[in-house]
Amino acid sequence: MSTRVRGIGLRIGSIFVMLGIWWVTAIWMNDVEILPGPVLIGKTIATNLVTLGPEGQTAYFHIGITLGRTFIAFAAAMLAGIGIGLAMGLRKVFEHSLMALIPLMLTMPTILMVFLAVLWFGFNEVGSLVAVVGVVTPFVAVNMFEGAKAMDKSLLDMAKTFKAPRRMLIQKVYLPMLLPYIFSAFRFGFGITWKIVALAETFGIKYGIGYMFFFWFEQFIMEQVLAWIIMFVVLMLILEHGVFARLESKAFAWRPSHSL
Amino acid sequence: MDGSEFVVLDSISLNVDEGNFASIVGPSGCGKSTLLNIIAGIETHESHEGGSIQVFPKSGAESTPRIGYVFQNARLLNWLTVEGNIQFVLEAQKIPRDTWDGQVAKYLEMVGLEGQEKNYPLNLSGGMQQRVAIARALAIEPDVLLMDEPFSHLDEITARKMRFDLMEILMRAKPTILFVTHDLGEAVFLSDQIYMMSTKPARIFKEISIDIPRPRQPEDPVIFDLEKDLVREFFRVLEAQE
Repeated sequence: MSTRVRGIGLRIGSIFVMLGIWWVTAIWMNDVEILPGPVLIGKTIATNLVTLGPEGQTAYFHIGITLGRTFIAFAAAMLAGIGIGLAMGLRKVFEHSLMALIPLMLTMPTILMVFLAVLWFGFNEVGSLVAVVGVVTPFVAVNMFEGAKAMDKSLLDMAKTFKAPRRMLIQKVYLPMLLPYIFSAFRFGFGITWKIVALAETFGIKYGIGYMFFFWFEQFIMEQVLAWIIMFVVLMLILEHGVFARLESKAFAWRPSHSL
Repeated sequence: MDGSEFVVLDSISLNVDEGNFASIVGPSGCGKSTLLNIIAGIETHESHEGGSIQVFPKSGAESTPRIGYVFQNARLLNWLTVEGNIQFVLEAQKIPRDTWDGQVAKYLEMVGLEGQEKNYPLNLSGGMQQRVAIARALAIEPDVLLMDEPFSHLDEITARKMRFDLMEILMRAKPTILFVTHDLGEAVFLSDQIYMMSTKPARIFKEISIDIPRPRQPEDPVIFDLEKDLVREFFRVLEAQE
């Protein structure tokens, strides 16, 4: 327990040390156009949240847009990836026919996929959706494929011996065995998804956090650029560690040494 | 497979009476486990000369027989609690939900795990996990209980304790048991009947009834003597084959 407390203390401490270095450097450089200090950025974020910005919207509006795009695209990519991965793991036909294509997709640089998607489908919702699905789906599929391959056949035999019907097999045997793979795909996939959505927004899809970031970047107003980046990063950290990690630790309560 | 045939079991005939404990003893690879898997329906068998397996259900000849299985490893669902693991098979066997609590409590008490209902399997030792597996198999009150070397993965001290406890459990639960092992001492200590099996071809070369009254003591010299006789018999048969 004490090592756990110490670990948390060190993590929080390191954030404060970084903020301190930033604060001292900003005072030393004394140039708000290059490196505004943390206090000014904090104030800018607070102001953005309560006042209307250049597009006539508060920051909440743009956060909502970006989150909406992220969740929809991510859900589509997860569903497609899980379906393809399971099909590959359970049916040889799919394994052999897709095994050559997936590395091709995985090797494609993410940024090129985003370029292609917006060139083909335009600077709109469809473009960002296609970019996310193109990048995230193969990754999720590979994870699920491995999960399907690693399933413990002896547990399935046990369940069949006791005449467990199909519904019970799926709910209580297959799904729990796949859950660790789903979660790992989920975490990693979500991390890429919001980065792709933000990138697509900076390329010119109207509204959203990435769009605002690029708007201020073009005007070279450093405090706003940093304010949007930091707000974005903090938001995603809260989602990943505050929400998803909690869900995960709840789902794996049966593991004796589960820790984060 | 590929047009070739793989005959593991040939001319095997055995018959277990209700409430009896029958063991099949044989060297590794003689097909003992395959036999159990065929009975359990997880391996298919093709017979050329009218081979058949019949389990007569207590609840009437029309219903499908209930089969309990204790494997070499506990094979518990680690994400379900101890109670959840037993409820899993009760639900699978369509046993009425209002009897679940009673069955879970009864059989956990029988295997000495009362109070562990809400615990997760990975918090239990290997021996305790195997006890849960035994409680799980007994809880459906099977027409036949199959046990495939259930103590072979435990250390010898735990295994001895488990054998002794199993004997006591069976005196209360009285299931019909088909037990597979390569340990003759274990078979003699536990069984009413022993079928001795040889390999290549797999066949049963001897059937013995053990009439030592229960409860039996593991240190009983009668058990030791019988075990020695059977081991000698085994070697004679195996050597004659070579």
